[in-house]
Amino acid sequence: FLQHFRGRKNRCYKLAVRSVRRAFVKSTKARREKKRFLRALWITRIEAASLEHGLKYPAFISNLVKSQVELNRKVLADLAIYEPKTFKSLAALAQRRRQEGFLAALGDGKEPEGIFSRIVHHH
Amino acid sequence: VAKTSLTSPPWPEVKLPDPVEEAKYHAAEVVRKVNGLISAGHYGRLFAVVHFASKQWKITSEDLIMMDNVLEAECGDRIRMEKVLLVGADDFTLVGRPLLGKDLVRVEATVIEKTESWPKVNMRFWRRHNFQRKKIIANPQTVLRINTIEIYPCLS
Repeated sequence: FLQHFRGRKNRCYKLAVRSVRRAFVKSTKARREKKRFLRALWITRIEAASLEHGLKYPAFISNLVKSQVELNRKVLADLAIYEPKTFKSLAALAQRRRQEGFLAALGDGKEPEGIFSRIVHHH
Repeated sequence: VAKTSLTSPPWPEVKLPDPVEEAKYHAAEVVRKVNGLISAGHYGRLFAVVHFASKQWKITSEDLIMMDNVLEAECGDRIRMEKVLLVGADDFTLVGRPLLGKDLVRVEATVIEKTESWPKVNMRFWRRHNFQRKKIIANPQTVLRINTIEIYPCLS
C-alpha cells in the first residue's frame, strides 16, 4: 500500500504503520467530501456556461425547476461542455420562463380600485 | 406629462409573443419540421439523458455504464430504459417535462458484467484513545452497454 510514499515511510515498519493508518482514514473521509467537491465544481461550470448566455446561475436553475425540467447538475455540466446548442436552448427556456414569471408578478400595471393611490395625474 | 426617472420602471420592458399565436406556430411549423426530420432520418448520433439507478446519465449508443449496485437481470439480458429526460441530435432536442413519452424514445441496453469493486478500506482512528476500526468493503457493480437509442415521429 505504501510503495509510493516519500522518505523512510516506505521502508521502516513503525513509521509505515502510522502513515498507512493515516492514509486509510484520510481516504475514507475524502470519499465523503468528494461528493461535495464535485457538486461545487459542477455548479461553477454551469454558472460559467449560463453567464455566456446572459443568465445568472440562480435564475437559470430556479427557472428550469419551475418549468418542470428535472435535470441534475452533473448532467447540466456535461451538456454545457459537450452539447453547447442544447445548453443554449435550455438557457432560452429559462429566460422565457423568467420573463413570464415577471409579467405574472407585476400584473396589469393598473392601480387597484377603490383605494387612493399616491400617484396624482396632472393633465 | 414630462418623462422623469420614475415614469417607467428601471427594468427593460419585454413584450412576450401572444400565447395563442405561438401555440399555432409551434404546432404547425416546429412540430412538423421535427417530425419530418425524424422520419426522414436526418440525424447523426443521438444522445439521451436517462434516469437510472437513482442517478442521471448522459448516454449515447455503444456506451458503457457502470453502476454501484445489483441488477436483477442475468448477463446478456436486454433492458429497455424508461424515464428518459432529454433526447438530442445535432439539429433538434426533445426536452421532457420532466419525462418523455415511452412511444417517443426507446433506449436499449445489455447487461455485460456483474463484478465486485476493488476492495476499499474503511478505517476510523482516534489518536490517544486506542480506537481503530478497519473494514474492507467490496461493492457489487454492474456494467451495461447501451446498444441503441431510437426515436419515433410521434410528436404533437
